[in-house]
Amino acid sequence: MIGEIRKRRLIEAMEDAGLDGLVLYGNAWQNDYLRYAADFGILEGEGLAVVTRDGDVTLYLDDELEGERAAVECPEVKTSIANDLIGTVSDVVARLGNSRIAAGPKRHLPYGLAARRGDLCFEDATALLDRLLMVKSIDELNAVRSAARLADEGYAVFRNAAAVGKKDYELIAEIESFFRNEGVDDNFMIIGVGGPEVRGMAPPLGKVLKSGDLVTTELTPCVNGYYVQICRTLVVGEPNEAQRKVFGIYNDALEAGLAVVRPGVTAADIARAENDIFRAHGLGEYVTSEYTRVRGHGLGLFPDTKPHILEDVNTVIEEGMSLIVHPNTYNPEIGYFVHGDSLIVRADGPEILTTTPRQLFSVDARRVAA
Amino acid sequence: MRHGLILWREGELSFSDVKARQVRLQQAIIAAGLDGVLIYTNHVRSAGVTWVSGFTPYWSDGLVLVLREGLPIFLTALSKRVGEWVKSVAPTFEVAHSPFPGKLAGERLAKVGAKRLGVVELDRMPGGVVEEIDSVLPVELSDATDLFTKVRGQVDGAELNLVRLTDGIAREAFKAGDATSKFAGDFTGPVERAVRLAGAEECYVAVAPDLSKDRCFIRTGKAALGRTFAARLSVAYNGVWVRRIETFSAVSEIASRLASVSVELDHASPIHPADGSISAFYLPDGAKLIDWHLEAPYGTRPLKIVADAEKPLAAPVPYGILTTAFTQGGETIVAARPVGIGDTWRREAAE
Repeated sequence: MIGEIRKRRLIEAMEDAGLDGLVLYGNAWQNDYLRYAADFGILEGEGLAVVTRDGDVTLYLDDELEGERAAVECPEVKTSIANDLIGTVSDVVARLGNSRIAAGPKRHLPYGLAARRGDLCFEDATALLDRLLMVKSIDELNAVRSAARLADEGYAVFRNAAAVGKKDYELIAEIESFFRNEGVDDNFMIIGVGGPEVRGMAPPLGKVLKSGDLVTTELTPCVNGYYVQICRTLVVGEPNEAQRKVFGIYNDALEAGLAVVRPGVTAADIARAENDIFRAHGLGEYVTSEYTRVRGHGLGLFPDTKPHILEDVNTVIEEGMSLIVHPNTYNPEIGYFVHGDSLIVRADGPEILTTTPRQLFSVDARRVAA
Repeated sequence: MRHGLILWREGELSFSDVKARQVRLQQAIIAAGLDGVLIYTNHVRSAGVTWVSGFTPYWSDGLVLVLREGLPIFLTALSKRVGEWVKSVAPTFEVAHSPFPGKLAGERLAKVGAKRLGVVELDRMPGGVVEEIDSVLPVELSDATDLFTKVRGQVDGAELNLVRLTDGIAREAFKAGDATSKFAGDFTGPVERAVRLAGAEECYVAVAPDLSKDRCFIRTGKAALGRTFAARLSVAYNGVWVRRIETFSAVSEIASRLASVSVELDHASPIHPADGSISAFYLPDGAKLIDWHLEAPYGTRPLKIVADAEKPLAAPVPYGILTTAFTQGGETIVAARPVGIGDTWRREAAE
């Protein structure tokens, strides 16, 4: 049903733009454009969806095993397995003749497709799709809400699994196992373990949790294609004075960012509200790109979609967007620290989705991994 | 994205192992009259870059530029902070950052006066990358897939050992599954956990929930398990992917027969040639073949079907994963095992 609603919005957008066809690319990482049109969570190989103005959508996959899975899991999607993906889709596009066809994301459109279309060219559908991906329908927002529950439950599993002597990847194994049992298709997750030497989060490195460590994570479960994120930090053992003080700054920054969110403000306004808190504490240096990437971002069919919450991004925030606000950055006293909540933008302000308390969690240092 | 442990493990894949691969590729580049070869990677199309560097991206994408000499260059839009992680898990290349990695590739090519660049799977290269290269240096592009496939087709000992090790992780993990589970997720949850606790980079689990109905593998955990079902583990470890399929039953008599078949396949499969020759198949006594396919690393794909009942193998592969479906004693059995990995493993499995 949600797939049908998206398809209808897509066709309307194509009509408004005067487009006759769309070619959308996807893989397991960048699957949002493809999934918007052809509701399949691709895992291996690559896919291209061809959408025509009359509402016909065909999904072309280059992996036979994925084609088999799509036929069973998404029988409503017309799927074709194409060993020669580029040749097959080129032929399909050629049959559309001299019509207006656009591609998204344009940057990822395979070179072979563009080369074979020659002078006819593909127009750029990236902005058209980005807008649909950012401002969601009611049904999409309900799907986002469903994913939020699992973000909270996932963080509870994470907290309960953290123990002295446990390795970072073992902690992630518990989360992934929990998520898979709950029907979570995917989860974007990075982690940091340690103290002031930790300058960011990364994939697990085999680090062993010890007393005094900060353990940072962002969990981003994906339910029916929609991602929701939560960022929290916990301390192994009792938090020290510096850790408590720094938590207060990040919590103020998060609340300052959330307080600004409403239709009509810009992404820059939210970022500025967060960063002003750091600047007021003499930590302005740590909100630059040297130490942090973004102060939040959009969420939806991609875990890190537009708009990026940065002081130089002037995208206007609209009702129906889903975002995370996270003032995550390095702190010279205690190390990298994360704290963030997901939300939906409503007419009267943010609807906060994640309900895990905003506190500096700690796990008993006597809790030792089995 | 990937979800597991990624480490540089010198004892399993050494710098000199990777260096030897790079040298072989550079020799082929020179022999072909090219100035360099460009290989694209994301975590789905990681195999080319993983082979030439030992690195697999956790998320996002990148390019590896291999010139006639010197260390390859990993060109990425990832931040410098993530770049520190990349360097820590792959000391085999230089890491260079730019929001436009293709442009950076063009600049590096211009620096050596390059005129001819080979691109592995040129047709599949993101068009934006090609435009970026072209904006800096209008170099002549040619498809280098065959060149790469030929070099990559020569397997080395480190890779074969990793295939054995990865298959061993999958084999052990299946022991965590309870074949009397009611639903697929109840069986697969503990199996996936066991794979990840063993330090795997990634694990995908799929189940054909009722072999009396069909042999379609799905990922949904809610499917009720039939009298016999098959589970497929796709495991990545240190850049190597292995698929292993086992068939299970809640009926003890059938289960013990299936267990015997599994052991027989473990003994016989490793020394089968990975050439897709049907005569080489091992089938248990009384078994009747229904279908088969052979997967192997190919180009940028960690595993791709390279031969089946209708399609012969087109080019030699370093090793393979042979999936067979057959009937025996009235039951449908599906199995997948690595083939073409030598007989050391056979002896170990027998022990």
